[in-house]
Amino acid sequence: MSNSAISRTAAGLTALGLTWLASRSAQAAAPQLLVFLHTAVKQRALQDALSSSLPGVSVTTVGRVADFERMLAEGPDAVLTLPVVLRSKGLSATLAGHRGGAASEKYVLVGADTAPNPSQVSSVGALDILGRAGTTTFVEGLLGAQPKVVRVTKVEDLLPLLQMRRADGIVLPARLQAALASASRLKLAERELAGNVGLPAVAAVAGSGAAVVAAMRSLPVSTSRLVGVDSWH
Amino acid sequence: MALTRRELLTLVAGSTALAACGGVSVQSRGSRGYQELHKNVSVGRETVLVCMPETSQTQQAWTGLNDELGQEFSLIAVRIEGRDDNAVIAEAVKRHRPAGVVLMNNPTVTAYRRYESELASTKRVPNVAIMTSFLQARRLGPNATGVAYEVPVITSVTHLRKILAERIDRVGVVYRQSLARFVSDQRELAAREQITIVGEAVSEAPNESEIKRAIRTLKQKTDAVWVLNDDHLLTPQLISKGWLPGLNERPWRPAIVGAESLVAAKLSFGTFAVLPDHTELGTQAANVIFDIADEGWVLPSAYQTQEPLSIKTTLDLVQVRERFHLLPEALAHVDRVLK
Repeated sequence: MSNSAISRTAAGLTALGLTWLASRSAQAAAPQLLVFLHTAVKQRALQDALSSSLPGVSVTTVGRVADFERMLAEGPDAVLTLPVVLRSKGLSATLAGHRGGAASEKYVLVGADTAPNPSQVSSVGALDILGRAGTTTFVEGLLGAQPKVVRVTKVEDLLPLLQMRRADGIVLPARLQAALASASRLKLAERELAGNVGLPAVAAVAGSGAAVVAAMRSLPVSTSRLVGVDSWH
Repeated sequence: MALTRRELLTLVAGSTALAACGGVSVQSRGSRGYQELHKNVSVGRETVLVCMPETSQTQQAWTGLNDELGQEFSLIAVRIEGRDDNAVIAEAVKRHRPAGVVLMNNPTVTAYRRYESELASTKRVPNVAIMTSFLQARRLGPNATGVAYEVPVITSVTHLRKILAERIDRVGVVYRQSLARFVSDQRELAAREQITIVGEAVSEAPNESEIKRAIRTLKQKTDAVWVLNDDHLLTPQLISKGWLPGLNERPWRPAIVGAESLVAAKLSFGTFAVLPDHTELGTQAANVIFDIADEGWVLPSAYQTQEPLSIKTTLDLVQVRERFHLLPEALAHVDRVLK
């Protein structure tokens, strides 16, 4: 390699290195928001929507409990998840999501052909939000019964449990029932469950958490609705 | 369709890699002997032994297993490189005395069966196979179960219906007679979502004309083509001179494939790839282990093999834009979009 070629390569590498450093430093400076929520769209789509609605905030979305715990250990500035998940980690909500003026929502038990009776199901599918023991307790609380709980990590994975008859019913937020029904030609029937479950909320957990909370307050309604919320208080 | 040699080799190499992960027969390689890949041990806990080759997919499955089981059991993962590694398994069992075993891919399952065949039935421990092709067609031992590797067509079509505006009610499949039972089981399952499976049987060693003819016949009477992950039907010769010409002529029909490498924007083979989510396969296997542990480390009676519940999808957006119509917000339901 000639001297000029070496010099050009070195200059190129320096520029590349500086760009990388600048990008790392911008990333490091941006407040980190960790999101652990299950929605009707893929995690990739949720992350894209939140990132473009929260300029200046570095957003990471995860759908698995273990991934959430790993990322939480890395110390994000704020966390967006269900209040029941925040409580399980000893965190409290700084900003609560509301829909129709309420900070909680109804869940439904959905079955194929007939609406299952919560006290008579022997197995139900549910989104894994709290790990094996925690999710089982959460679902038992909603149903007032103790069926076998089959946990899944994506909303779309609930439907196969009914299609393949792996569960007598599935438990999910009532707002997600329409997305489920539109994807299937099974005759789905639902039963509303007693009690309410808190809507997604934000906890500020580190230095720049307040900045994330401030940004979340002005999250566009269209993006908020992706997570089942229409305003933040 | 013109296909360069390099493109074809890339396509087939990719598909073979995935098929090998799925357990389609691979040559047995020389064993490197007993080697632990992962160890998560807590004194006093029962042990689950994981026998696995070392690939990115098996590592993902390990993550799912370890995340679920690691809090309650000791986990040891041992490297298995082929069907002749029964001595490696014997050594692993001797060292760790597992209460349960997880096996990843066909050669590993074969090696385990060889090891197990020399044991008294009282010494056999429950085992769970994953990433094994056409698991339902295999003869599993009395204390064995597993999670199938092939994504059920009912799942694939349910997802494709969320993406394409075209009506998809009748789905065609080319299959060898030896997989007739698998296709029949899938037909029964698919009917629950009002999907009709139309099969076109070919010989056990079909040539490219047979494949092309079968595809042309199916395309006339179906709304989509479902391509089985059958290595006998996906040879370089059959792909380049059978599948590609058959799929790349009118009438256009979306092709559902089971290998990400069969969706490539330049080649227009698969429209939509649907693969198991390997991390979740590990999670699913972990839950089978929990069920077994709850029964005192005995496989519950009438326990059936399971279908994979969770998938990852790839869409060839170039092909879709040329030939089909996307539903609004369709891309929010796809994991990977090729543009």
